[in-house]
Amino acid sequence: MTDVTGPEGKRRYPLRWHVMDALEGAAGVLWPRRMAPFTGWLLLAPALLLVAVLVLGMVQIAESSLHTLDRSTFLPSEDYTLENYRTVADSATYLKVIWRSLYGSFLTVVFTLILAFPYSYILVRTNSAFTRKALLVALFLPFFIGQVVRAYGWLIILGNAGLVNDALELIGVERQRLLFSFPTVVFGLVQYMLPFAVLLLAPALTAIPREVETAAGSLGANWARVLWHVVLPMARPGLIGATLVVSTLSLTDFAMPAMLGGGSQDFIANAIYDQFFRTADQGLGSALALLLVAIGSLLVGAIFAAFGAGTLAMGGRE
Amino acid sequence: MEETALTVRVHDVSMDFGSGTKAVDSARFDLETGRFLTVLGPSGSGKTTLLHMIAGFLKPTAGEITINGQPVDALPPHRRSIGMVFQKLALFPHMTAAENVAFPLKMRRWNPKGIPARVSDFLDLVKLGDYRDRRIHELSGGQQQRVAIARALVFEPELLLLDEPLAALDRKLREEMQLEFRRIQKELGVTTINVTHDQREALVVSDEIIVMDGGKIQQKATPVALYQQPANDFVAGFVGVSTFLDGSATEGGVEIQGTRCAGTHMTDIAAGTPVRGGIRAEQIRLGRSAQAVADCDTRLTGHVSDMIFEGERLLYVLNCPALPGVDIQVYYHDPDAFDLFEIGSEVHFGWRARDLRIFRAAR
Repeated sequence: MTDVTGPEGKRRYPLRWHVMDALEGAAGVLWPRRMAPFTGWLLLAPALLLVAVLVLGMVQIAESSLHTLDRSTFLPSEDYTLENYRTVADSATYLKVIWRSLYGSFLTVVFTLILAFPYSYILVRTNSAFTRKALLVALFLPFFIGQVVRAYGWLIILGNAGLVNDALELIGVERQRLLFSFPTVVFGLVQYMLPFAVLLLAPALTAIPREVETAAGSLGANWARVLWHVVLPMARPGLIGATLVVSTLSLTDFAMPAMLGGGSQDFIANAIYDQFFRTADQGLGSALALLLVAIGSLLVGAIFAAFGAGTLAMGGRE
Repeated sequence: MEETALTVRVHDVSMDFGSGTKAVDSARFDLETGRFLTVLGPSGSGKTTLLHMIAGFLKPTAGEITINGQPVDALPPHRRSIGMVFQKLALFPHMTAAENVAFPLKMRRWNPKGIPARVSDFLDLVKLGDYRDRRIHELSGGQQQRVAIARALVFEPELLLLDEPLAALDRKLREEMQLEFRRIQKELGVTTINVTHDQREALVVSDEIIVMDGGKIQQKATPVALYQQPANDFVAGFVGVSTFLDGSATEGGVEIQGTRCAGTHMTDIAAGTPVRGGIRAEQIRLGRSAQAVADCDTRLTGHVSDMIFEGERLLYVLNCPALPGVDIQVYYHDPDAFDLFEIGSEVHFGWRARDLRIFRAAR
């Protein structure tokens, strides 16, 4: 405990108190008491500012999506037109890319949840501190590596002369061309998303008291029915949160399709990149970008509409 | 197998978690069908471990448990016919009250056509008929208790286990629910084992009480017998408020630092043996003059050192020069005068020989 009484009996306060007093005084000058009702807005301001900048950028993208590229001058056209959107809608390639992104993100969600659920469950329920630590380390290690480096790792492992093909040869199976295929892209995405999903599921599972599962058992449910009737429904906020994060992140992913797909398995983000940086068709790229934002927003909106924002434990009661 | 109306037989059951002492040490008792048994003990006495072994959540390291003549050790919880009300209730928050009660029926594959009617019957039994479609968090603490009871009983279990479900309630609600448990248990006649550290609850609800301490069963008796004839000083101390006098045994009493006190030996004890005498706070007489304690076998004088007002009665703490170092606790009840003895005033007190119970000092 800090001694607040000095040798002469005069009160001496710890330095920390003086610092706090000074800060409080400064705050009183900068943000007077009568402004208190607006403190909430003050705290929101930085985030609102960020979003505002983002919106400005979006407006600019929307504007440029309404001009086509003039191939003779390589300048955007003067007049406004919906030609870029028509190009996307008429192009079998772009529709295929959009469909591939949606399908890929759907598969990624399914496989990621199937893998993340048991992982989180064991992480939360294990009685062994060692097991928990090992699972946590294994979960966070990939975070330190980064997506691009990880994708390179997969290139080495899955390549024609990679570890997997070496192993296949050992057991007498012919070498396969594993890279640059859709399943490999989904595989890479699942591996990338797993930590996100576990991080979102673990708190939801922690919130389920062990006693509830015990009770379900004593009421006559075997483990499978406990899982189906009790654990899964109670883990719903976590499952929905993980679905949201994994689906939007993989829908908009760039690195995995680019590197593991090798140009043959492009997602929307890759197509946008090509328009901006390869063909320099800003207008078409902007149209694709807006389309991606629209699809992503619709997806999130649909999930909220179906399950309600309240299930994410964000205010309101269920 | 002789089929008397025996539901539970616990046969020399032990639980050893490997921490040196056994959590439950050779527990042995029988419970007849339809009886309400309470396992009473302080925390860490092994009572909850014993209950979890009966429920099947823990496997005994020794001994055998049979329910209706059948050994259950090999049966997982969901194959046993046991309804349990948990300490934290463990209701399903994503279901309504009715869905919670229907859950065991669905899991135990009852005919789906009969389920709604049976759920209604049991919600009526616990007086929750109007709350069937409420979510759990929309119910009060007492109502949640009732849902938990209905859910544990609706599938006609052979045995009902109560794992301190009332511990978290406030006193008034707890006492109300004690009587409610009692009513429902009598109405259905279901054999019940209740675990609690609340001696009052044990006395109020039970047909029989087992007192546990240190993993061992100290005594199994009816509430009245437990109160009047405690088997040892632990039971005497745990049930009711008692003052303990440590000394050596004499013929017909105990000698404490030169003072002879009249008492009753609970077992055959030779003179000179170290003993511990216990006397209940309500069995000590108290008065301003020697006349008030004239019919007592032991008569002493002391000073009031503390006075605790408990509403319906007063608890006096006395110090007595003849019994140094002992705080003598005395209940005093006089509807007309509450401030009869002031702190520091001299009082006469005493007791009859049959009320000072003398046990061998085992511990």
